[in-house]
Amino acid sequence: MRTSRRLAIATAVAATAMGLAACSGIATSGAIGNGTTSTAHGGQKEQGGAATIAWPDGSAPNFIFPLPPATNSDGYNVNLTDLMWPYLVYDGDGAQSVVNPQESLFSSLAYSDGDKTVTIKLKPWKWSDGAPITSRDFTFVYNLLKANWSNWNAYVGLFPTDVASVQTPDSSTVVLHLTRSYNPDFFTDDVLSEIPLLPQHAWDKESAAGGVGNYDETASGAKAVYAFLQKQGGDLATFTTNPLWKVTDGPWQLSAFNSDGDYTYVPNKNYSGPDKPTLDSVANEIYTSDSAELDALRSGSALTVGTLPQNDLPQASVLKGDGYSIANQPIPGVSGIIPNLYNAKVGPVLRQLYVRQALEDLIDRTQIVSKIYDGYADPGNGPVPVAGFSEWTSPLEKSGGPYPYDPSKAISLLTAHGWKVVPNGTSTCQRPGAGAADCGAGITAGERLSFQLLYSSGSTTGDEEEASIQSSEAQAGVAVSLKAEPFNSLISTVGVCNSGSHPASTCGWQLVDFGYDPYDLYPAGDGIFNTDSNGNQGGYSSPEEDALINATEYGGSAQTFFAYEDYTAEQLPWLWVPQASNIQVYKSDLVGYAPLNPFTGGLNPEDWYYTK
Amino acid sequence: MTYFLRRAAQALVVVIGVMILTFILIHLVPGSAARAVLGVKATAGRIAIFNASYGLNRPLYVQFGEYVDQVLHGNLGVSYMTQQPVLTEIIQRLPGDVLLLGVSTVLALLIAIPMGIYQAVRRNRLSDHLLDGVSFTLYSMPDFFFAIMLIALFSVQLRILPPEAPPAQSLTGMLADPRALVLPILTLTLVSVAGFSRYMRAAAIDVLAQDYLRTARAKGASERLVLFRHVLRNSILPIVTLVGLSFPGIISGAVIAEEVFNFQGMGLLFFQAATEHDFPVLLGCTLIIGVATVVGNLAADFAYGILDPRIRHGDA
Repeated sequence: MRTSRRLAIATAVAATAMGLAACSGIATSGAIGNGTTSTAHGGQKEQGGAATIAWPDGSAPNFIFPLPPATNSDGYNVNLTDLMWPYLVYDGDGAQSVVNPQESLFSSLAYSDGDKTVTIKLKPWKWSDGAPITSRDFTFVYNLLKANWSNWNAYVGLFPTDVASVQTPDSSTVVLHLTRSYNPDFFTDDVLSEIPLLPQHAWDKESAAGGVGNYDETASGAKAVYAFLQKQGGDLATFTTNPLWKVTDGPWQLSAFNSDGDYTYVPNKNYSGPDKPTLDSVANEIYTSDSAELDALRSGSALTVGTLPQNDLPQASVLKGDGYSIANQPIPGVSGIIPNLYNAKVGPVLRQLYVRQALEDLIDRTQIVSKIYDGYADPGNGPVPVAGFSEWTSPLEKSGGPYPYDPSKAISLLTAHGWKVVPNGTSTCQRPGAGAADCGAGITAGERLSFQLLYSSGSTTGDEEEASIQSSEAQAGVAVSLKAEPFNSLISTVGVCNSGSHPASTCGWQLVDFGYDPYDLYPAGDGIFNTDSNGNQGGYSSPEEDALINATEYGGSAQTFFAYEDYTAEQLPWLWVPQASNIQVYKSDLVGYAPLNPFTGGLNPEDWYYTK
Repeated sequence: MTYFLRRAAQALVVVIGVMILTFILIHLVPGSAARAVLGVKATAGRIAIFNASYGLNRPLYVQFGEYVDQVLHGNLGVSYMTQQPVLTEIIQRLPGDVLLLGVSTVLALLIAIPMGIYQAVRRNRLSDHLLDGVSFTLYSMPDFFFAIMLIALFSVQLRILPPEAPPAQSLTGMLADPRALVLPILTLTLVSVAGFSRYMRAAAIDVLAQDYLRTARAKGASERLVLFRHVLRNSILPIVTLVGLSFPGIISGAVIAEEVFNFQGMGLLFFQAATEHDFPVLLGCTLIIGVATVVGNLAADFAYGILDPRIRHGDA
């Protein structure tokens, strides 16, 4: 959900700040905790108080209705809405990657009929206006999405089109009849965890002046209600005044919002959940750059929670001295360099598995983690991060993955396939052809092993990582030229390329590193590695891969998942690279911030309090 | 009057030209606005909805015609990224920039003009060389570096001033937090002083060599009168041009300073729109800056006419 985007210009600023820090001889290590242990300490819990959270540039929300339209920009709106309208299934319990039964809106979930039917029992919780949360609130959401799924930002081919019908035998029970069997882990963790409940009794309207009805029960009515709520949801000026948005079921309500994206919550006094807010208010402030945020932290401002860029790790011990705690938080996502298998120039080369294996053999992930990220990164052994997903990490990944750093193996692979390897030069194909010992189909004699790697600018550690890869690839004569672009520029030019469509205008890229792709609680490969999926920009396609991904979603066990995971790790639809952690900074007297929930970014302010 | 009308007509042509050129150049930028806005995993369906919503699937000349029609009706379109009216976004950000950059420009002039005259009068003496050194140091120092130094000293070490500009969007809200205005205004002022003072010094040296000053002194005019009535008035003409050229800078913001001082101004709006392919915001900002450039130049022309009667007489 949360992605991090930075302005290119921040590079210069951050680099300077880093340089200044380096000049002052600040030590890095020893100041950063693991983020998995509670910060609770002695002292009496103090009722009230305020906290201010720093957000990165570009994360300003612009939509409050929790079902944003297809044209909406990004996922940052969930940061605003999640604390007011939480999802049916709450991902993450403390630092653990499991469903949180206390925070979730359901009291039980039962799968039956060969996992084609899901029976959901709702907790007897209430909306902020005192009305009970009922099964009608679920059908309201279902009806709206069923009539408008094509104009829903979060539609990924599953809910609501994977639901054949919905029954509500009583006010607290919802029965979903699915179009096919699903693996309960997948459906609970990745589908139901994306569905909020919305107050039908307050929002089922077609206009501001009109009354509440059951308009959603017809397709035309659902379209009208959806259109009305979407129009209201984009009106920034009325976020805090519109009566619609005052009816919440999460722990917080919005009290202030400005168009820069700064906003403040106050407690929902009727919140039914177990962890009632203690703080009086929680302010969210957008920072224009990492350095501006760091300056605020260093100047003793009221900033309570922020993020320390990896570039600024040397500042950790200084911040600790200023009364902050620093915690390492692994990000639940997958990082990789995507090879464009349908680039007109290098596509035939990148389609060769042995070439991708050689490229991966040449990436020294262990050194990148230790030298560039000071140990605060997942090693990136395959498609599932080792840190944070222990249940779903296969023994192969835990043991380092199929491709530990091995330049000599890379050279052997290339030589065995007819390449003249020129270390620190550019290797060339000497034996064209499709035979087992040849360079491979579509590769011509004399073709050079040379690629351009695009990546997102704005991070010094990102620059260092790509430079490290460039340097290590050169050992086998793989010439990698680097080109950094602002994230938005990058994604505007990198299209999805596959066998069916690879226009020159959007498929001129060769290798691209976007950063990371976030996972839900069940780290499925659907949408990333299966044939022609939206996130499969490079056009990787394998019937076996598709079958293994389907097996993880439609049936499955840990062994089924591991089979998918190991096959994907070995086939290299992406070149695996380390995934840097978030380094969180928070006031040391703020209790409850840790353990950090990886799926909320540690932002559960209802758990926070100060002590006397 | 004919002169001013002719200049106004030329200005209008310039604005229209800027609008056409910007529209064409922006649409020649490689990449898809839909992808930039919707993200890496945007489906073909979502991209199609996006393009249809904003008319991006229509021929460029149709899009331009619609844009011109919108502008003539006072509508600069809707931001792809924030989905808010562009005019609203500009109006929300403009006052802060006008305050920060306007105040810093005025302060810079108040420092630079007497400094330039003083240096001209004391030409090639120790004080002139010292002020030269200060000027060149300020002139050559990048504003972001200067800003970081000030923050490191006053915010991090001494903790007497906040490192951020006021978070409020309104002028009254910003003025209510004067301490937070100090560092951004100080940064922007000091980096502007050098340029203004160099021009002022050169112009004043030129004027000080004129015969009419010798005549004035021979007639018994005091040195103060000579400086204020003759030197200042005659040497300030280049500064008037510079101030006119500064006007679009005041409107367009200061992207580096905004970034360092955590201030959501016009500069960052423009910069972010450029990286996000947010065409309506880019066009809106360019149009406003184009108009400001033209207005600044016109204002400089008018001021010239007031300060230098020969121009008025020439017009007549």
